[in-house]
Amino acid sequence: MMHFLLLFSRQGKLRLQKWFLPLPERERKKIVKDMTTMVLARKPRTCNFLHWKDLKIVYKRYASLYFCCGLESQDNELLALEILHRYVELLDKYFGNVCELDIIFNFEKAYFILDEFLMGGEIQETSKQSIAKSVEASDMLQETMEEYMSKPAF
Amino acid sequence: MPAVSKGDGMRGLAVFISDIRNCKSKEAEIKRINKELANIRSKFKGDKALDGYSKKKYVCKLLFIFLLGHDIDFGHMEAVNLLSSNKYTEKQIGYLFISVLVNSNSELIRLINNAIKNDLSSRNPTFMCLALHCIANVGSREMAEAFAGEIPRILVAGDTMDSVKQSAALCLLRLYKTSPDLVLMGEWTSRVVHLLNDQHMGVVTAAISLITCLSQKNPDEFKTCVSLAVSRLSRIVSSASTDLQDYTYYFVPAPWLSCKLLRLLQCYPPPEDGAVKGRLVECLETILNKAQEPPKSKKVQHSNAKNAILFEAISLIIHYDSEPNLLVRACNQLGQFLQHRETNLRYLALESMCTLASSEFSHEAVKTHIETVINALKTERDVSVRQRAADLLYAMCDRSNAKQIVAEMLSYLETADYSIREEMVLKVAILAEKYAVDYSWYVDTILNLIRIAGDYVSEEVWYRVIQIVINRDDVQGYAAKTVFEALQAPACHENMVKVGGYILGEFGNLIAGDPRSSPLVQFNLLHSKFHLCSVPTRALLLSAYIKFINLFPETKSTIQEVLRSDSQIRNSDVELQQRAVEYLKLSSIASTDVLATVLEEMPPFPERESSILAKLKKKKGPGAVSVNELEEGKREGGELNGGGERGGDSSAIAASNASTPSPSADLLGLRTGPPVTAAAPSAGSLLVDVFSEAGVNDDGFLRDLEPPTESSDSLLAEGPGDSDSAPPTVVSEDPAPPLPESNELLNKFVCKNNGVLFENQLLQIGIKSEYRQNLGRMYLFYGNKTSVQFLNVQAKPVEPLIEGGAQVQQVINIECLSDFMEAPLLNIKFRYGGALQNLTLKLPVTINKFFQPTEMASHDFFQRWKQLSQPQQEAQKIFKANHAMDTEVLKAKLLGLGMALLENVDPNPENFVCAGVIQTKAQQVGSLLRLEPNAQAQMYRLTLRSSKDTVSKRLCELLAEQF
Repeated sequence: MMHFLLLFSRQGKLRLQKWFLPLPERERKKIVKDMTTMVLARKPRTCNFLHWKDLKIVYKRYASLYFCCGLESQDNELLALEILHRYVELLDKYFGNVCELDIIFNFEKAYFILDEFLMGGEIQETSKQSIAKSVEASDMLQETMEEYMSKPAF
Repeated sequence: MPAVSKGDGMRGLAVFISDIRNCKSKEAEIKRINKELANIRSKFKGDKALDGYSKKKYVCKLLFIFLLGHDIDFGHMEAVNLLSSNKYTEKQIGYLFISVLVNSNSELIRLINNAIKNDLSSRNPTFMCLALHCIANVGSREMAEAFAGEIPRILVAGDTMDSVKQSAALCLLRLYKTSPDLVLMGEWTSRVVHLLNDQHMGVVTAAISLITCLSQKNPDEFKTCVSLAVSRLSRIVSSASTDLQDYTYYFVPAPWLSCKLLRLLQCYPPPEDGAVKGRLVECLETILNKAQEPPKSKKVQHSNAKNAILFEAISLIIHYDSEPNLLVRACNQLGQFLQHRETNLRYLALESMCTLASSEFSHEAVKTHIETVINALKTERDVSVRQRAADLLYAMCDRSNAKQIVAEMLSYLETADYSIREEMVLKVAILAEKYAVDYSWYVDTILNLIRIAGDYVSEEVWYRVIQIVINRDDVQGYAAKTVFEALQAPACHENMVKVGGYILGEFGNLIAGDPRSSPLVQFNLLHSKFHLCSVPTRALLLSAYIKFINLFPETKSTIQEVLRSDSQIRNSDVELQQRAVEYLKLSSIASTDVLATVLEEMPPFPERESSILAKLKKKKGPGAVSVNELEEGKREGGELNGGGERGGDSSAIAASNASTPSPSADLLGLRTGPPVTAAAPSAGSLLVDVFSEAGVNDDGFLRDLEPPTESSDSLLAEGPGDSDSAPPTVVSEDPAPPLPESNELLNKFVCKNNGVLFENQLLQIGIKSEYRQNLGRMYLFYGNKTSVQFLNVQAKPVEPLIEGGAQVQQVINIECLSDFMEAPLLNIKFRYGGALQNLTLKLPVTINKFFQPTEMASHDFFQRWKQLSQPQQEAQKIFKANHAMDTEVLKAKLLGLGMALLENVDPNPENFVCAGVIQTKAQQVGSLLRLEPNAQAQMYRLTLRSSKDTVSKRLCELLAEQF
């Protein structure tokens, strides 16, 4: 089971955090700090796996963003890499050529998409089509651009 | 320009986020956030009811602020309101807020649970999924209590939508992990197992995580899943890559499901049913074959997915450990990966091979890759890969390749990354010991280890080399010669000095015949390092010097001069000073016979598990090192530690030394060495240094305090070697329960340190004790009041016999590790007439003994008093006076308590206030006391406030008995 998933920028700014186990705030901050320093210090073309305490850390960089997750010892590292990849694909499909800014401004969407894909740190659905369908369904009440612009800006 | 969000974008949110991004400094950001928080707060408090959209927007802003790392203390209620909105997007934001900012506020949980209940029964699949997600995200016990019964029903109901089933399965898994007692599968078991047959691949994928977890806990109830899993796996493995539509990932059919099926099978032994097993072996072979096929895509995703299945299959093969053919194939496959251009694959191959190395079928096959692995250790650019290579070398090491592997690891150590050096050192030390054929190689290896990575050589490692040298007389001469040579280096590591000092002190005589290493040369060599060493090492060297006086009488005057010098005898460190004074005295007054007895050569150490192995296990966590590793080594290599050969009785020294007790001597190295229960002269202390190994238990008996009964036999016993050294006639009986009056006896000593602890017709036990910081020393005097001998007084360090009318004493060193409630127990057994006397007392060690008085002015006192105002920090008792309320007596008692009695602090002169700090190894606990006597009512009110609640409580209990 995955314990956490973090997205952070090359500057170490946290863009998304998902915790699959309840942890006190202080511990979360410590993990975020450890992960960013550890992962950002890695040289290019090193392997994508690390040991940290009793967890396996799997990370991968996509453009300016690092995707990093903590796994239990019996979990499969290669598949975890593909979980990260599939999540990127899902974001990409939803936002269309996703970039860091999309995740910053639509963080809630990034969470919703993740929720369709993973639950309790385990994979819930691997089919890109099924997930896309559920996410679209939640966007059923779409607003037009005019509606959007007519809303108050504060 | 903010990216315009698709769908139900919230413009205000986008504007706020871009404002934050435009902030030039942290201060500007905080200012902007505070402004926004004020705005939101006023909106929430305003008279005008907010519409759903605004509420959603503000809740979302709060969430954003929280995710930036700021505290959020409001908005929860509004989020809960959103849950009951019938607009999906509003509900969704409400749930997201709750999931991220869980608050154990019970009032709120009740409301949240209500909303969840409504959504679960709404029969709207999207609402149901949201609710299930929220339960899984929060996963609290309250939620488990509310929903653990309902969710299995949803999971197996025929009319549940697939997407809801998927959520329900994983939600149930989450609840099972938090509160297994609340999730009762019972009647649902077989229907859950049959989800493995579900037509919808997504449902199977989700359900299998649940089934795997349940199978691990209840393998028997779920064992029918094995055959279902095998047939499902077989169908996937044999399917064409297009059969599974969207569940094919980069030309690999259902990689996630395949891996999970293989993982589930690892919860069980190989299937007993021949047909099932045949089918499974076929699957595994297909997977291994497919790994050899040319890739269907050049994308890394394709190879990752394919290899993920391969590695999982190999794990299963290793788990079964019964198919030699498959094991060897797996090993060859991994061998190919060892030189793969993908770093990830090299890393995983090294890791998997570690487990293969432990199987007897594949151990030899793994060994054939030794050159590749050594090469990886030398040339890999990535430290985490090198680490795996080192692990694998360790795992594949056996007698045939030990010399090569140890040499490679040693040479790697010179350039190894700091982060892994300590572990490498431990591994080298273990391998060297485990596979040592000749011990000179072992000694060389460890000394090299110290030379190359001295800073990373932990105590355990050098203790161990000494234990082994002492136990093997064939290597002692060589060891003495080698350390002597190693010490010639102008700069040698302090650990080398320790080993050198110890070994030359014991066995320097073995090389003294050579004029190049004559006694005086040896001494001068050691002493040339003295001034560069830390205090514990110097203390050890002083002991080596006194041993020299015994070994080589010709060095006596030189050494006495050194001991007599001001820098020793007036050393500001009390331990060094004491050793110098005592050794000087010992060397000048004791006859050579006495000297020879006291400073006799060390007896062999009892055989025990290598402390290094224990340390490595602790470092790596359970499971990393197989427990019987060392035993294995012994089987192959014969007796290593040789404890048995010389019939070692480790306690002989302690016993013989105890014959010259010196009550006031602080010979034990109270601060540096672990406490021992004998007032042994320092040679004994040296013994003790080594003795202590990594053991936590023999490191002072207060560690045994919880639970107190465990300490009952560790007091008179002397560390782990006790049982072999006890006289054969000792009747081993369980210690008696504490005497009924032992509490009362204990109370006598709360405010005093000396006195008679116990007395009956036969025996009197007197106590003298002293405390300093968190350490203490207690002398127990056992007086025989009869005129006949007590026989079989149990073991050391008391002599096994007390003459009629005579008295023997015992010293106990005490270290307070953390605060405690129960006093340690003292169990005494002896024979009087023919009858075994067995009595158990409480040793008068109470928490207040570790008080350091603190003087403070009235103002400070009350300020601190106020700071300790949480209810649990205070303990109070009102009680009737048991003794006359004499001010002077009270004062004396309070002083005896160990706190500072503060005058002119309390506005009421009748009252007493005290302050002190309890010193424990773990922490310091400040405590304040106020005692208010009421002479008319003959009552007291006693109040204690401490920074730790248990301390207040305990002190209050103890003191209430005193006045």
